[in-house]
Amino acid sequence: MGNNRIIDMRQINKGYMLGMEKVPVLKNVDFLVEKGEFVAILGPSGSGKTTLMNIMGCMDLADSGEYYLDEEPVHSMAEKELGAIRNREIGFIFQNYQLIPTYNIMQNIIMPLVVRGMTTKEAEEKCMPVIEMLGISHRLKHKPAELSGGQKQRVSIARALVGEPVLLLADEPTGALDSSSGKDVLELFGQLHEMGNTIVMITHDLNVAKAAGRIVHIVDGCLEQ
Amino acid sequence: MKLSEIVRLVWLNLVENKFKVFLTSTGIIVGSATIMLVIAIGTGGKLEVAEQFKNLNAGSVDISYEYNGNSRRGNSSGGRNMGGMSGGGGNMGGMSGGGGNMGGGMSGGGGNMGGGMPGGGGNMGGGMPGGGDMGGSFMFGGTENQTNMVEIILSDEDVQELEDGVPGISSATISYTTRQEAEGGDLEESTTYTIAGVKDNYAKISNLEMAIGEFLTEDNDTNKERACVLGYSVAAEMFDSILDAYDSSVYIDNRAYVVSGVLVEMGTVASGISPDEAIFIPYETGIKYLTGKSVSPTITIVAEDVDEVEDIMEQAQQVLTDIYGDNVVFTMSDAGSKMEAASKSNETLTLLLMAMATIVFVVGGIGIMNVLFVSVKERTNEIGILKAIGCDQKDILIEFLLEASCISLVGAVLGVLVSLGITPIIESFSVRVELSVWGGVLSLLFGVLTGTIFGFYPAFKASRLIPIVALNQE
Repeated sequence: MGNNRIIDMRQINKGYMLGMEKVPVLKNVDFLVEKGEFVAILGPSGSGKTTLMNIMGCMDLADSGEYYLDEEPVHSMAEKELGAIRNREIGFIFQNYQLIPTYNIMQNIIMPLVVRGMTTKEAEEKCMPVIEMLGISHRLKHKPAELSGGQKQRVSIARALVGEPVLLLADEPTGALDSSSGKDVLELFGQLHEMGNTIVMITHDLNVAKAAGRIVHIVDGCLEQ
Repeated sequence: MKLSEIVRLVWLNLVENKFKVFLTSTGIIVGSATIMLVIAIGTGGKLEVAEQFKNLNAGSVDISYEYNGNSRRGNSSGGRNMGGMSGGGGNMGGMSGGGGNMGGGMSGGGGNMGGGMPGGGGNMGGGMPGGGDMGGSFMFGGTENQTNMVEIILSDEDVQELEDGVPGISSATISYTTRQEAEGGDLEESTTYTIAGVKDNYAKISNLEMAIGEFLTEDNDTNKERACVLGYSVAAEMFDSILDAYDSSVYIDNRAYVVSGVLVEMGTVASGISPDEAIFIPYETGIKYLTGKSVSPTITIVAEDVDEVEDIMEQAQQVLTDIYGDNVVFTMSDAGSKMEAASKSNETLTLLLMAMATIVFVVGGIGIMNVLFVSVKERTNEIGILKAIGCDQKDILIEFLLEASCISLVGAVLGVLVSLGITPIIESFSVRVELSVWGGVLSLLFGVLTGTIFGFYPAFKASRLIPIVALNQE
């Protein structure tokens, strides 16, 4: 098997209770992502892609099935361990950026490192290269509200990168951006991919999905690879 | 997450919401200020009681006699000789017998109605201590119809009999007061003062201290010398300084008395002669020149052991009954029970204020809890983000708990400052306030504790939020 397999999902099932009835959302999903891949999961809303993303991001557990993230058996972990996994192994990039409004840009970016146990000073030093690469070093003292959408998404990407995760997980990263900012972000993803990062991107937009090296369709909770 | 980093985040959030922090902490501000003041007022009250009773020996018992026949009793005035009822210094003496007269105001409140005594014509012997006075008057003796119809003047011999007949007395003295015009020094016109005829051991029994000179001596008394000791206020009124007063002359009833000493300032006292306002002269001298036979002295005996006071009172009554017969009642009032009652009423007040402070704290605490719940709700998304990037429950619990503690610390500090500001206002209502570091520390502690305890539940709730649910909350 080697250690090249970042995501290894086997027979994942997940459903939600709707009143008295259990509605299945993911049905026997098998999904593999190799190290260094850039995969897009494409599907309409209601197809189960957000649920899949939550399980992939270790924010939710499957009802059944096995999930190995970088060979660690996530499916048998408790919330405390899952938190540690999210911190170390996953960099999240959200559609609506999810920046903390009361913190400035620098404070937002360093949070994963601070949560990991670094001091602010150590974390700030460590994340400088990422900040420079993303070209946001002149905005560090600003609050998120003072930035444009494209800049906010760069901050969010910076925050995802500073922890040096094995997986970048992007949920509709261009969904809230105008087309030129969206294009910038996708180009950035391309660069990150070239640098060796493993990226899984969830989108409903085929044009966005085309930026990825591989496209996987999700329909009614089933993956069509 | 490092604690120092959590503290940094807490600081960030508090600074962002200064006004909210202030409003949230108002409950704690009021609570802490209340605790601080409760302790200060309680301590003040305690000191006040101690000071007011400083001229009383805990083991001392005053014995006086109330004559119910037709007499001139009415003029016995102020101080100790008030027919057993010290009503905050007012003169409640006079009661002519036989006429259905009620001697001395019988306001209720803790008074001991010893013996009830239906007097000859519906006469009420002895007054009841008024509300302000703290009980402790006991009346022994018969309940026969015709009590206290014999005129008795307590004397040196009675003191001697008591000292010999009652074991466990460490000292005994006899004294009386009268009011007389006096002049001297820089006084422009003669003024009426309380004149106390006392023995040489009175100073010791009443805890008097000399600012200058000596207290009256036994020789002064036996030789009926015209010497006097001035209370501090009297000396200050008559002379420029107590140095000037010493060894000069004061005229009482137009006779010169040499000032042999001046007392230190004693302040207000709860009962007995107010030493600051009195002129002390030898016992016999006063009888010879001022009162003649119309004197109503008080014997003060001091028990060696405070616990034996009640026994000693009974024995003293027995000794006096042996001398004067069954048909007389002596009024006895012991300092110990007065002090006890005074400190008890002070304790009650403190307890009441404490209860109030507790209520304020509970209300303040619920206020904090409420605001923190709102805050958790507002920041659910932030909590979701923190959880998504791996912040664990413990860190979030600590962050919110620290926030609650900091808000209440701010409140507690402000509360202590507020109490410092209010103190002069309270003091202007002549309530004694004794601020203390101990009180400050305690109110800080209570404030922070309240906030932290009431902040726990919201913090706990925050820490338990499910990441995806929290993250998707806008």
